[in-house]
Amino acid sequence: MTARLTVTGLIKRFGGVVAADNITLDFAAGSLSAVIGPNGAGKTTLFNLITGRLKPDRGTVLLDGRDITGLDEAAIVRAGIARAFQVASLFPRFTVEQSLVYAVQSHRRQNHLLFRRFPLSEDGQRARQIMELVGLSASAKQVSAHLSHGDQKLLDIALALAMEPQVLLLDEPTAGMGRDERQQMIERVRQLWVHEKMTLIFIEHDMDIVFRVAQSVRVLRYGAVLAEGAPQEIRANPAVVAAYLGLGRRGAAS
Amino acid sequence: MMRRSALLEAALTAVACLAVTTLCLALGSKPLMDIVLRLAIFGLFALSLNILIGYTGLISFGHAMFFGFGAYAFGLLMQARGVSIPVAFAIAVLATAALAVVVGALCIRLTAIYFAFLTLAFQMLVHAIILGWVSLTGGDQGLRGGIPRPVFLGVNLADPRHFFVFACVVAFASIFLIRQILEAPFGYTLRVIRDNADRARALGVPVQRYKLAAFVFAGVFAAVAGILMSLYVSGAYPNFAFWTQSGDAIFMIMLGGISVFLGPIVGAAVFLLLNDTITRFTEYNGLVLGIVLLCVVLGLRAGLLDVVIRLMAGAPVRPASVTTETPV
Amino acid sequence: MNLDALLDCVAASSCLATQISAGLIIGMLLFLVACGLTLIFGVLGVINFTHGSFYMMGAYIALTTFQTTGSYALAVLASTLGVALFGVIFERFFMARVYGADVLMQLLVCYAFILILDDMAKIVWGADFRAMGMPEAFVLPPLRVAGGFLPPFYLFLAAVTVAIAITLGVVIAKTRFGKIVRAAAANRQMVGVLGINTALLYAAVFALGSALAGIAGALAAPVRSVVPGMGFSILIESFIVTVIGGMGSIAGAFVASILVGITRSFGSIGFPLFTDGTMFVFMALVLLIKPTGLFGRRPG
Repeated sequence: MTARLTVTGLIKRFGGVVAADNITLDFAAGSLSAVIGPNGAGKTTLFNLITGRLKPDRGTVLLDGRDITGLDEAAIVRAGIARAFQVASLFPRFTVEQSLVYAVQSHRRQNHLLFRRFPLSEDGQRARQIMELVGLSASAKQVSAHLSHGDQKLLDIALALAMEPQVLLLDEPTAGMGRDERQQMIERVRQLWVHEKMTLIFIEHDMDIVFRVAQSVRVLRYGAVLAEGAPQEIRANPAVVAAYLGLGRRGAAS
Repeated sequence: MMRRSALLEAALTAVACLAVTTLCLALGSKPLMDIVLRLAIFGLFALSLNILIGYTGLISFGHAMFFGFGAYAFGLLMQARGVSIPVAFAIAVLATAALAVVVGALCIRLTAIYFAFLTLAFQMLVHAIILGWVSLTGGDQGLRGGIPRPVFLGVNLADPRHFFVFACVVAFASIFLIRQILEAPFGYTLRVIRDNADRARALGVPVQRYKLAAFVFAGVFAAVAGILMSLYVSGAYPNFAFWTQSGDAIFMIMLGGISVFLGPIVGAAVFLLLNDTITRFTEYNGLVLGIVLLCVVLGLRAGLLDVVIRLMAGAPVRPASVTTETPV
Repeated sequence: MNLDALLDCVAASSCLATQISAGLIIGMLLFLVACGLTLIFGVLGVINFTHGSFYMMGAYIALTTFQTTGSYALAVLASTLGVALFGVIFERFFMARVYGADVLMQLLVCYAFILILDDMAKIVWGADFRAMGMPEAFVLPPLRVAGGFLPPFYLFLAAVTVAIAITLGVVIAKTRFGKIVRAAAANRQMVGVLGINTALLYAAVFALGSALAGIAGALAAPVRSVVPGMGFSILIESFIVTVIGGMGSIAGAFVASILVGITRSFGSIGFPLFTDGTMFVFMALVLLIKPTGLFGRRPG
C-alpha cells in the first residue's frame, strides 16, 4: 500500500518570512527519502504543508495524482498520509497499548460509537501487531508520559503507523538520541519501511544516518530546494557542503 | 486491558438505586430524602459539567444556563396545561439540546480563555432574558403558580414518595448513561482530545465536531437536573441560571476529583454537607467555602477522589505537574 | 421593548445629550476597570476574575475613608493605594502559585477570593446598599449641555479618566517600564530570558491593574450604590469590553468602553428590561465578525 507524493511550486509566507519558496519535489511510490537542511531551512514547514497543518499560499500537493492541497488535517490523514513529530506528540494519560488501540479505532472510524465500550476487542489485535513492529510490546502497560525519550519517539511513529499510511513522514526520528540509539532507531525505521512497503520520507540532521539508509536525498535551504539526488551525489555537492559548513564534519568523519 | 462491563455497571446502578430508594422510604425521614434529592440534582449537574471539564478539557463557566433553561422550559410547558410530564420532559430536554447546539457552535471554535468567558456571557444572557421577560418567566420572582403534576402511567408526582422514587430513578439512569457515553469509543475520543487535541487531529479526528457533541450531551444532562430541580421546588428561579450555580458546580468537581468518574458526585456530597453545616453556624458560608476551596486548590491541588486514587497507586500525593492526572 | 421612547429620545437633542453623557460616564468607569484587566492579561497572560472584587474594595475603602475624614481626595488616594497593595499580596502569594497550571486552577483561586471578599464586605459593612453621598465640592447645580443635564461630578470623572488614559498611554509608549510591558505582552518568555525580574514586573503590573480597578471603585462610589456583589456585574461588563476591544489593547478598551456605555445608556430606554442583553448581543456580533476584537492581537 503505497503512493506517489508530488509537491509542486509550494509557497508559504509568514509576514516577511518566506518559509517555503517554490518547492517542487517528487517522491516515488515506495521510496525511502531523506529531507535535510540547516535549521530553519523549512523542512518541518514542508511537512506541515503536506499534512494540512498549514495551507500553502500557492502550489499543489498531489497524492497519486489526487489533489489534496488545502484539505484539513483529518481529511489528509484519511487520504493516506500520516506523520510523526519532531517532539513526540502523545496522549500523556494513556498507556502505550491504550494509545494504539485508540489510534486503530480512529483509523477504522469507530470513534462515534456510543453503545459499546472501549477498548473494542477487534482493535486490540492490530494494536499489538503494531507494538511488535516498533518494538514497544514490553512497554505496553506504561503510561505515555512516563516513557523514556526513545520509546516516546517510537510510540509517536507507532501512532502514525496505525493510520495504515501510504506515505509516512517522520520528523527527526532520531532527535535527542545518543549515537547508538540513533543507529538502532534508523535501522528500525528502515525495517518498517521494508515491512510495510510505504513511501517513507524522513527529516534528519545526522548525515551518517542519511547516507546509510536513504535512497534519495532532498536538500532544503532558506525554504527552497538546494539540491536533490542519490546520497553520494549530495555528499559531493559543493553547494550542499558549503551550506553545512561545520555540520558536514560529522558526516565526513564517519 | 480491562474493559469495564456495561452490563455489570447497569446492574450495580439498578441495585444501588433500589437500595437507596427502599432504605429512604422505609426510614420515612423527610430530611434524609431531602438530602438525597439535592445530592441527586446537584451531583447530576456537576457530573454533566465534568463531561466537559474533566473528560474533554473544555472549561465552561456558563453551564448553569442549561440547568436554568431546562427548568424553565419544563415549568412553562407544564403550566401550559394539556401536556403530560414525560412529554414535557422530553421537549424541554430537546429544546435545551438545541440551545446547546447554537451556543456550542459559536463558542467551541474559540481558544480556552475566550471559550470560558463566552460561555459565561451566554449564561448571563440567558439569565438576563429570564429576568427581563417578566410576562413569560415572572422575572425575578420566578415562575409563579407552581408546576402542575398530572398523573402519568400511575405515577403521581404530587405524592412526595412517588416523586422521590421518580427522581432517584431518573438520576441513577442518567448517571449510568453518562458513564456509558464516557466509557464508549466516543468518550475515549473526548479524552484523547483533552490529552492532545493536536495529535487527535493527526489521527483523523474531527475535533470540533466531537467537542460540540460533548457540549450538547453535557447540556442535555444539565437540563435533566434542572427539570428535577423545578419539580423539587415546584417552580423555576432566575438564580438557576446565575453564575454562582456554575461556580458551585466547578467547586464540587474540584472537591471530589476531576479525573475519577464519581468525583463530582462525591464533591457534591461534600459541598452540600459543608454548606449545610456552615450555614448552621454562620451566615458567612462564602467566607468558609472560599477558604476551603483555596486549601484544596493550592494545598491538595486535586480533588478528594484524585488523592485517594493516587494513594492507592502508591504515587506521591502531590503531583509534580498539576495537569497530568492519573491514567485514564 | 420600548422603541418609541428610544426614537423620541434620539430625536430630542436634550435627551440625546443627556443619554450620551450618561453613556460616556458609564464608559469611563468601565474603561478603568477593563484597562486594568486587559493590562494584567496582556502581560501575565491570566484573566483576573477577582478584578470585580478589587473594584468593590475600592468603593468600600473610599466610602469609609470619606465618611471618617470627610475628604474625597483622601478617599480616592486610600482606595488606589489600598487596592494596589492588596493586588500585590494577592498576586505574589496566591496567583503566582498557579501560573503554570490549568486555567481551571486560576479560575478557582479567583472564585475563592470572590467568595471570601464578598463575605468580608458583608461582615465589615453589612449586606445592605450603602450610599456615599456626593462630596461637598460637587454639590453644584447640573450643567446644561445641548439642552441636556450633566452633573458636575460626571465632568470630574471624565476628566480624571481621560487624564489617567493619557498618562497610561504615555507611560506605555515612552518609559522603560512601558517598553518592558509591551515586550512582555508580545512574548512573555523572552522577557524573563532577557534578565528582567519577572516577579517584580508581574507584581508591578498587577498593582497597576488593581489600582485602576480601585480608582474606578472610588470614582463610582458617589454615584453608585455600594453593595457586596457589585463587583460581579462590572466584571462581566469589563470582560465584554475587553473582548470587543481586543484583549491586551488599551486603545481597544477605550473605544469599546465608550461603545458599551452608550449601548447601555440608550439600551436602558429602548429595552428597559433587557439592557444587559443588548450588550451581550453586541459582543456576540463582534465575536462572530472579528473574534480577536476591534483592536485585538494575539497575546504572547
